[in-house]
Amino acid sequence: MEVGVRSDTGRVRENNEDSFRLAPELNLFVLSDGMGGLESGERASRLATETIVAHCRDAQADATLAVFGKHIEGVNDVSNRLASAIRLANQEIFQAAQDLGGKGGMGATIVAARFLEDRACIAHVGDSRAYLFRDEQLNQLTEDHSFVAEQVRRGIITLEQAGRSRMQNVLTRALGVEQNVDVEVTEELLREGDTYLLCSDGLFRELSEPQIAGVLLEATGAQEAADSLVEHANHAGGGDNITAIVLRYAPKTAGAMSKIGRWFKASEDPS
Amino acid sequence: MSKLVLKFESSILKEVAVGQQEVSIGRSPDNGIVIDNPAISSYHARVFHEDGRLMLQDFGSLNGTFVNGQRVKMVTLKPGDSVGIGKHTIVVTDSVEVRAHSLDNVAAKPAVPKINETVMLDTKDRREFLRQVAAVGESAQPAPGRMKLPTLVVLNGSTDRKEYTLTDKLTVVGKSAMATVKLKGWFKPKAAAQINRREDDSYYIGPADKVPSVNGTPITHPTKLASGDVIEVAGVELEFVVRD
Repeated sequence: MEVGVRSDTGRVRENNEDSFRLAPELNLFVLSDGMGGLESGERASRLATETIVAHCRDAQADATLAVFGKHIEGVNDVSNRLASAIRLANQEIFQAAQDLGGKGGMGATIVAARFLEDRACIAHVGDSRAYLFRDEQLNQLTEDHSFVAEQVRRGIITLEQAGRSRMQNVLTRALGVEQNVDVEVTEELLREGDTYLLCSDGLFRELSEPQIAGVLLEATGAQEAADSLVEHANHAGGGDNITAIVLRYAPKTAGAMSKIGRWFKASEDPS
Repeated sequence: MSKLVLKFESSILKEVAVGQQEVSIGRSPDNGIVIDNPAISSYHARVFHEDGRLMLQDFGSLNGTFVNGQRVKMVTLKPGDSVGIGKHTIVVTDSVEVRAHSLDNVAAKPAVPKINETVMLDTKDRREFLRQVAAVGESAQPAPGRMKLPTLVVLNGSTDRKEYTLTDKLTVVGKSAMATVKLKGWFKPKAAAQINRREDDSYYIGPADKVPSVNGTPITHPTKLASGDVIEVAGVELEFVVRD
């Protein structure tokens, strides 16, 4: 997995409340957008990303580590571990918010991706997103837990109206707001040539999907793609913090030797 | 009296009674049922009474009008018919018992947040919103005991089992350690095809290392599966069956 990442304050805000953590040894990548202003937002998103990576690392070392919260049917253990880590992060932030008196609106969104074998496990809460760019098509894999997204889903307003709505900043789910949180998880096939993008709303509010797809198509490397996405979003206004994690899986044009290597490995194991 | 119930996924958006006046359906605001969606024509179709029968006429709309899945121009409607227009469904009913739910009043409620600051929906408003959402969901629940079990039945080819009940979000057909439908034999791809379960519990098949075919047609983009579809990929033949 080739990884590129860039996080930027943008051109309007004074601090960057987005956080990210890359744990390539676990094939785990997380991004969080804090809220609550000033130190609270920064602290919330940092707590979220750190707690999640720590919990997954602990589980890697000790597979018997308890899974926090209820088991989600229809997805594998790795996805369930990710949900467990996010529930734990929720409690950490909730506790931190309570310690501050519970009135500061402290909270965070989260989007986390973990790759194993043939698939990507994606978990999220709030309006940070995961996209899959495959065959030159950009697909949003997560559904925002936001007021306008819920309205669109129920057919009350159109996507276009949602883009103009003044309610865009209102979330229906976030970490740290209540004692417990519902985590949404999904799984996607991982194919050679795939690019996965994790981003905060500062990116997709400035750039349309065709614009994002255009940047991902043009960039030659994951880091170049992440840099270019953030630069374009800043150019378009940079109204919020912008973070992009770009994950590219073994481009089809490269890695002929590794293909041969894999073929030999497959031949040795004709199960 | 016949009623038309406009639905989107499981939510009921609107109910309109069909009296002597015809009910027009379209994107334009002067229709009896307005569906504000680019896939709907300005004047898409109409429902009216003729010789004591309830009729539906499509005005030659671009994306069509479907009754119980069949594209139609002009048909007689009966209670229980499901009219598909874009992503919306209009259910024909002669019952007066179905209650209308409107979410519009909740939508207007929460205060507009400060400049661009991300906030949570205020707790009281959120509870009210979620309560209404839940109420819509409950009324749209199918009768209990009608659980549908989508199954892949192996017609041909070498796999680890003869039948697979699909319950996962992602089902992989291939040799991968995590594949549900495990292919046996040399030179089989790690992931030959994928089947995704979407939020509305429909199933979509898409290509992976191979391009599968459904009923003989190659599938290059995710395509919705219907009961009875026969999938061919990497030397196996699978029938997708939805059992009640």
